[in-house]
Amino acid sequence: MNAIEIRNLQKNFGSKQAVRGLNMTVPEGAIYGFIGENGSGKSTTEKMICGLIIPSGGSIRLYGKDYTNAEVRSKIGLLIEQPGCFQNLSVWNNMMIQAANLGIESAEAEVAKVLKLVRMEGAASNKFKNCSLGMKQRIGIAMALLGEPKLLVLDEPINGLDADGMRIMREVLTDITKNYKCTVLISSHILTELEKIATHYGIIKGGEMIKEMTAAELDASCRTFIALKAADMNKTKLLLSSRYSRVEETEEGYIRIYDLTEPDEVTEFLYNNGVTVSEIETSKIGLEEYYIDLMNERRA
Amino acid sequence: MNGYKTMLKVDMRRLFTSRMFYIMLGIALCMPIAILVMTSSLAGTETTNPQTGEVTVMEGFENTWDIIGSESDTELFGGTKTDSAAEASDNAAMGMNMDMTSMCNINLVYFMLAVFLCVFVGGDFRSGYAKNLFTVRAKKGGYVASKTVVGLIAGAAMLVAFFIGTVLGGNIAGLSFDLGSAGADGLVMCMLAKIFLMGVFTAISLAMSVYAKKHTWLSIMLSLFGGMLLFMMIPMLTPLNSGFMNVFMCLAGGAIFAAAIGSVSRVVLLKTDLV
Repeated sequence: MNAIEIRNLQKNFGSKQAVRGLNMTVPEGAIYGFIGENGSGKSTTEKMICGLIIPSGGSIRLYGKDYTNAEVRSKIGLLIEQPGCFQNLSVWNNMMIQAANLGIESAEAEVAKVLKLVRMEGAASNKFKNCSLGMKQRIGIAMALLGEPKLLVLDEPINGLDADGMRIMREVLTDITKNYKCTVLISSHILTELEKIATHYGIIKGGEMIKEMTAAELDASCRTFIALKAADMNKTKLLLSSRYSRVEETEEGYIRIYDLTEPDEVTEFLYNNGVTVSEIETSKIGLEEYYIDLMNERRA
Repeated sequence: MNGYKTMLKVDMRRLFTSRMFYIMLGIALCMPIAILVMTSSLAGTETTNPQTGEVTVMEGFENTWDIIGSESDTELFGGTKTDSAAEASDNAAMGMNMDMTSMCNINLVYFMLAVFLCVFVGGDFRSGYAKNLFTVRAKKGGYVASKTVVGLIAGAAMLVAFFIGTVLGGNIAGLSFDLGSAGADGLVMCMLAKIFLMGVFTAISLAMSVYAKKHTWLSIMLSLFGGMLLFMMIPMLTPLNSGFMNVFMCLAGGAIFAAAIGSVSRVVLLKTDLV
């Protein structure tokens, strides 16, 4: 069964069409990376899934039921924009309020459990307003995890975090999917981080879904390349262009030869033509480059 | 029903841990003390307008209970007598003869409640708490009912605080506590009627708050405007010599308004975007 099934979803804000005929399928148990530019309709779509914004048209089904179904809704955990916490209350009290709203019977044990999972057990007595951005995001995730949700909707949970904060957040998200076995819909601009955890992707542009694929499909469609540096880059590029069809020079000062995996062949060819290679490696286009290419194609 | 109970429990917990609630109670307690002491110390003071030469004599409260209400002579639900301060209070509420003694009375608590409730409900939307709540709980009616009950309790607490402040202020200022023909039962009925009438103001402020959502300033402005239209009704419905009919009318009116305007609030929540 699909956790989320959206068909022809539309949302208009006055004359502006924020979401136009969006289709989306998120299989149960997936970590679905929802990618798009600013203003592409990601947050609006997520808010509609959570019932916070009323769609102008189309249908949203969660676990086979309409998104307004109370039973389904009670199993959603969300972190959209900022955690829903009161600034002057402690982390613990904020968590207890949400636990009460969810009608959790053993609230204290449940709150302690989720705080431990996001590594915030030591900050339970801190006032929410005194927490750092990274801590607040983790508290937001802890709050979303209360009541053992089947579906987690996370909007930009890693934005604004430092490298350490991102690492902790990545570990937390990986732990969540292992421990809770829930479906995660996560939007982010930090694609390198998203690539490490997502099992499925959806790419949205101008309120329309332009591509949906699994991580395996992304992997298959991402081209391999050889990147190298040599003493005379101009001569090297000319030589390589005469032999290979897809040769490009990158902004970082590397020459890339696409769809090639044997560096020895290239080294030998250049050596025979009097060029010494100083650096060479085989690599693959990542999600970020794939996304940029796709966006450029759409613009073209 | 279960969802409503949980929401009410959470809201009550928030109310009694909210700093603003205690600040409002403090203001409600101190305001009558300040008004009674200041007006009685300034009573009789003459001020002369330098341009016209007109002499104005400052009037103060002659009786402590004048700040709570006046005895009705309108025979709306009974009552026969009026005095100058009481008349001034009624007139001021109807937009006439504005002076210190007539404007500063217990009815200001209705505006304090409007401000408090707008901040309280606006806090739900500003903090993102409403997002968490409405995602997992689809029942908007429970939210409205819970906030109405909390508003009523907060309003009642502020009225009681004002009453206590009045007793303290009257003692400090050395004013008379003579209830005249109203009697103690009239005073109790008057306070009960004022508490029940809170239902109307709570419902109005709540409706404005759910409409304005996180724009608290807008909800405060709309609530004060809406409350102002009904403000003149308060002294008429809750005179110092209130009887059972006053209490009943305020209870019925409060309940009907709370239910009717509460339904509007529910529809607003159902039909509009929540963030």
